[in-house]
Amino acid sequence: MRYYLLLIPIILFSCSGKNSEPRVWQSIEQSLQTQLITVQDGDTIELPEGHYMFTKSLAMDGKSNIVIRGAGMNKTILSFKNQTEGAQGLLVSHGSNIVLEDFSIEDAKGDNLKVSEVRGLTLRRIRSAWADGPKTENGAYALYPVLCKQVLIEECIAMGSSDAGIYVGQSDSVIIRSSKAYWNVAGIESENSRWVEIYDNEAYENTGGILVFDLPGLTQYGHTTKVFNNHVHDNNHENFAAKGNIVASIPPGTGLMILATHNLEMFGNKIIDNKTVGTGIISYELVAALNEGEVEQEASIGGVQTVDNNFRTDSLYNPFPYGIHIHDNTFENSHWFPALGHDIGKLFAMKSFMNPPDIAFDGIADPRRSDRGICIREGEEAIVMNLDAANEFENLKINPLQFDCVGVKVELQ
Amino acid sequence: MRSVFLAGLALIVVACGKPKQEIVVLPEKEIEIDLSQVGRQKLSDYNFFEGPLNKLRPVEGVIPYGLNSSLFTDYAYKQRFVKIPAGQQADFSANDVMEFPEGTILIKNFYYPADFNKPTESINILETRLLIKENNEWKTLPYIWNDEQTEAYLNVAGKTIDISWKHFDGELRQIKYSVPNMNQCKGCHLRGDKVMPIGPTARQLNGDYSYADGKQNQLTYWQSHQVLKNLPVLNQVSRLASYEDKSFSVNERTRAWLEINCAHCHRDDGPAKNSGLFLLASEDNPSRLGVGKAPVAAGKGSGGLMYGIVPGKPDESILQFRIESVHPGIMMPELGRSVTHEEGVALVRQWILEMKPM
Repeated sequence: MRYYLLLIPIILFSCSGKNSEPRVWQSIEQSLQTQLITVQDGDTIELPEGHYMFTKSLAMDGKSNIVIRGAGMNKTILSFKNQTEGAQGLLVSHGSNIVLEDFSIEDAKGDNLKVSEVRGLTLRRIRSAWADGPKTENGAYALYPVLCKQVLIEECIAMGSSDAGIYVGQSDSVIIRSSKAYWNVAGIESENSRWVEIYDNEAYENTGGILVFDLPGLTQYGHTTKVFNNHVHDNNHENFAAKGNIVASIPPGTGLMILATHNLEMFGNKIIDNKTVGTGIISYELVAALNEGEVEQEASIGGVQTVDNNFRTDSLYNPFPYGIHIHDNTFENSHWFPALGHDIGKLFAMKSFMNPPDIAFDGIADPRRSDRGICIREGEEAIVMNLDAANEFENLKINPLQFDCVGVKVELQ
Repeated sequence: MRSVFLAGLALIVVACGKPKQEIVVLPEKEIEIDLSQVGRQKLSDYNFFEGPLNKLRPVEGVIPYGLNSSLFTDYAYKQRFVKIPAGQQADFSANDVMEFPEGTILIKNFYYPADFNKPTESINILETRLLIKENNEWKTLPYIWNDEQTEAYLNVAGKTIDISWKHFDGELRQIKYSVPNMNQCKGCHLRGDKVMPIGPTARQLNGDYSYADGKQNQLTYWQSHQVLKNLPVLNQVSRLASYEDKSFSVNERTRAWLEINCAHCHRDDGPAKNSGLFLLASEDNPSRLGVGKAPVAAGKGSGGLMYGIVPGKPDESILQFRIESVHPGIMMPELGRSVTHEEGVALVRQWILEMKPM
């Protein structure tokens, strides 16, 4: 008690007038990592309310039927701000039926949460962020399931990723719903994944809102995606991805981007005030062309996807999107000019003066498939553009009905 | 009460030192966690050693051994032992780790002498890792030594330890030594989906060891002590060079260095098989060894370079770039070091420099 009394005058003398209180964190590093190793099948690890600081990656491997539960995304905070070792914040690998819910992960050196090769994964009410906001030095992915099956991500928040906020890669049977992504380069990204549903999400103030990508050279190719009832707005953030990464080629002001995938249906989305393009449909040929001359890869953290100009040597890869069905979405754009710092933005400004496109298709022909099944029904007001990118935009055409056809109805089962 | 006082004082100092919001991390509370399901709590529980534990004097049946070429782990010294259950024998394997019988324990101690030029004096043992063969599977158990050097305790979560020593050149070196957590053991020891030892292969053991009763080839010593069976005549057993022994060629030394530092993953049944880079000393296909090979899944690790190895040009070789790096997302190997192995990377550099263009 005597010690306690001693303290007070010191505080008064030295700190009067200052209002910057230090943020006090607890450490549970050893005990939590130990629990992650010793946890038994069927157990729940409770993370009590509190702010916890870590210096190394946390890892759980080869476990089944485990729940890791916090006291709420604003109550249980795991911060990796002091991380000196390991690339991820929390890494969960192998195993099955893992549920992570009700906590926050912040400021890992690489990805905040990576889940690899898990069958049956639920991420529920997880907030994953780089607390200082968008920066190139931030980790690549906020929520990153890869090589997983049966993935449910719901009511999560992703913020500040220098690549993608909610990123599902090389996974099967995925639902991303009722989540928010903002201040990332890409808000939500599905990459080389199959049977994916993305709905009821809000993606805003990213560089690009929602991306569905299929890239060469990976363990599997993606297809069969439904994107519906999302609110994708104001994705006009400058692109802060490190150069050479594939998302570095996303122009600011992109609502949705569909790259080289097939069997995709998109409807009921509100796509509002994304200044450059509401929805882009492009082939990998265009990405490669835009990146020609760029350094292929640069040193930075993590294993993010980079532009691979050798994609033509991947004989199993189809760089051209097909079977794309876009209908009954709401497009609005109160911006008169696209992002002019980007070649695509300049092109739109020139070719569709003061009317950036709602939907733009690169128009590059697939030599092996003449009927691509790209069907767009968005009414007569929509600004629908065919870039004819392969021919120096010579026959660029704007016409709301130029892709009017009966599109695929994507079924997941 | 004292601890409350100290914590409070720290807060004041940082709060008032800088205007920016500071991070204060309170020390972790010591919590007893029951690890009895995992393994024995103390190293002394195994009765491997007699006398003071930190002298590491093995009891009868615990055999010290060494490897011709040892994995680099931040310049740590290592003392290895094997305990094979009495009456049992390991079966000789020509190209892989010996077939050890059920109940075998491999014991590996990591330590730093205060002065590397006096390697037997003032030794600080940091950790002891055990590989135990139980139910035909290898189990990994890490033990961390106390400051008093009287005991090592089972610790599955890993730890960072500040360590300093006087290096060979007389300079003081300081690093944060990282004891891996139990999950990380698999990062190196996984073969297919099974944990395996890495070191005790025929070609690593085929060399002399200075036993208490004199110097002898380890394989013949094991055979004469009846813990190894089916050993062929020695001149038919392959032998890995010691990368520190300059009587071997640069090629032999480099291939040995690459094998022990890289090939636990970079092999046909290792975790890095997807990279298409294979670094066992027995690999004789230049392309699989990285010569003129484009990266597959290197990501940023390629450093913008085109090929694994460009003969004559170490600075254009991804392999050289990654073994020199200390960036967690780039460096190779991924685990087990925080500094660069200067002698090792110099050796690889010389090897690539001297390599004839294809």
